[in-house]
Amino acid sequence: MAKWSRLLGAACLLGVLLTLTACGSGQSADGKVHIEFFQNKPEAKASFDRLVAKFNEENPNIVVTQTNPPDAETVLMTRVVKEDVPDVIGMGATDTYSVLGKSGIFADLTGEPVLDGINPRYMQMLTDLTGQEAINGIPYAANADGIMYNRDIFDKLNLEVPKTWDELMDTAKKIQDAGITPFYLTYKDDWTSNLLFNALAPNIAGIDFLLQRRDDQVSFQDDVMREVAEKTLAVLPYGTNDNFGRTYADGNRAFANGEAAMYIQGTWAIPEIRKANADINLGFFATPTGDDAESNNLVSGVDTLLAVSESTPHREEALKFIGFLLEEENISQYIEEQTAFSAVEGIDQDDPALTELQPYFESGRLVDFADHYIPAAVQLNSLVQEFLQRGDVDAFLKRLDSEWDKVANRRS
Amino acid sequence: MAKRKAAFYWMTVPALLLFFVFHTFPALQGVFYSFTNWNGFAKTYDLVGFKNYYYLFQDDNVGNAYWFTFKFAIVVTIVINVLSLLIAMGLNASIKARNFFRGVYFLPNILSVLIVGYIFNYLFSNVFTVWGQNLGIESLSTNLLGSQGLAWLGVAFVAIWQGIALNTILYLSGLQTIPTQLYEASGLDGANKWQEFWKITFPLIAPFFTINMVLAMKNALMVFDLIVALTNGGPGRATQSISHLIYTGGFEGGEFAYQSANSVIYFIVIAVISIVQIRYLQRRETDM
Repeated sequence: MAKWSRLLGAACLLGVLLTLTACGSGQSADGKVHIEFFQNKPEAKASFDRLVAKFNEENPNIVVTQTNPPDAETVLMTRVVKEDVPDVIGMGATDTYSVLGKSGIFADLTGEPVLDGINPRYMQMLTDLTGQEAINGIPYAANADGIMYNRDIFDKLNLEVPKTWDELMDTAKKIQDAGITPFYLTYKDDWTSNLLFNALAPNIAGIDFLLQRRDDQVSFQDDVMREVAEKTLAVLPYGTNDNFGRTYADGNRAFANGEAAMYIQGTWAIPEIRKANADINLGFFATPTGDDAESNNLVSGVDTLLAVSESTPHREEALKFIGFLLEEENISQYIEEQTAFSAVEGIDQDDPALTELQPYFESGRLVDFADHYIPAAVQLNSLVQEFLQRGDVDAFLKRLDSEWDKVANRRS
Repeated sequence: MAKRKAAFYWMTVPALLLFFVFHTFPALQGVFYSFTNWNGFAKTYDLVGFKNYYYLFQDDNVGNAYWFTFKFAIVVTIVINVLSLLIAMGLNASIKARNFFRGVYFLPNILSVLIVGYIFNYLFSNVFTVWGQNLGIESLSTNLLGSQGLAWLGVAFVAIWQGIALNTILYLSGLQTIPTQLYEASGLDGANKWQEFWKITFPLIAPFFTINMVLAMKNALMVFDLIVALTNGGPGRATQSISHLIYTGGFEGGEFAYQSANSVIYFIVIAVISIVQIRYLQRRETDM
């Protein structure tokens, strides 16, 4: 009997030891404060590496390390489930952000001095998204979703930047007739198949439509959404011979090397394209969605926001790091390298590729991405990708409704 | 006597405890969460009874994932076992550079699934398409993985390419347990190669056949990283396996409890299949 209990005791001890060593990490031996900065943009890894190195040099008592895994949003969710939330998080203003914000994962930063000077329009976008008064995230950089074009090809063919949807289709036709691929479509990656939808839906149907959908007042089978779906489908004939076999990386390389005249992408892809060909003469225009050029808005969202974990023991140091990133010199460097737009007021993006977008920013003709208002569990990306392959508008719109309802039922 | 027993307990109890703490306990937690509406990180949640299970059976995405996974698993299991048995018999014969060939055929097994996936992803989009165009094969001239109808074949091809390695080694070790005298005796009796295979080789490696069928099936049913590297479940949901659905729906979609219910069902399905497979195949072993 005695032997049994001793045995059991030893085994328990072993178990306890194992659990302890598993949980006991985190306190550093070197007496410095360690901050993990988790961010979701692979394109921005090098830029942040440079800023982090500069910060660590200026602050010898704080060590910031950057984490940038692939498929970062999902990894972040698994980290949150494990209750291992990174100290500082950089992510897009997506449905995931909204869900995490509502769940109290991020610290409330209301009244913090780092918020001074942030463009209130982007602050508003974030609070609209979470539907809460608490300020969970600080907008850092904004992006734009539209159409990139190769200015040399446009010049050679004497083409103007299209201002309406019909002009866009007409331009594509002319390019195709000249023997050049109009759009390099990279629909093997489902998120890229969604970019055109994301630009069309907020302009044609409106963000209010999506908010009304939340309350079940409208249906995706309404005419406005049919127009969105039909236009999303209309570019397929102007793609390559393998629209569904090419990836984002393929597209960046091919467009950089002048294999196509236009490329449906966001501003975040510009640094990647220039990596492949530094001399490309590219421009960027807002997706023309309808007949009236004046009422067309540029789709622009918060590309990177900075949030602090509610559970971090180093809130002060985390905010110090965020304050550092928001300093004029540093944010200017970031937006220049990333061809993004600053969320801090008074810092302009003067990249020659983006001149056509300036008027939209100056007059505030901006609208958010559609999918920021669609629950992530609907998996819009794969629905759009499937729709583009099948080409069945009715089935797609019906499915959007039924998937949304399923998710809403499960969440209720 | 007692001392010797203690030693045996020391060998078994720690492993059992570790298994319980790191495997059984989380699994039981998962079962519990499947009866809640927890999204995975919220501070609070409610018990909702069988609601998740109720919606699970109405969700065609789940049905779709089951259809893909079983279609995939059956094809992969059969092809892997046929091919690896053939390769093992070749590698067991007295051919030149036998050890070299054994090494080559085992190579895919030591490569990481993700690396293999990314390499094949490149091949499918940049190399196989060129072959397809040159040979005039319609379905290969565009990226196979981008096709709604055919992408699953591409995934199956890579799974088979990599899965063959392990099963070949297992069959090879089975073939080496067969005493050569049996073949000499059957040779004297005038048996041809065909009879030799069905009457001697196959019955004697029956236990290896069982374990290979079970292992290949199990690996194929759990397919996950290969999907991530090749198609990420696409196009649409055409190559979404059940584990991929559980992962993306549970974490990306923030439906942790709902997908926990999905994994509970899936656990039961896999357990039943494995038990049936082992029972059936083992009974067959003794019949032979």
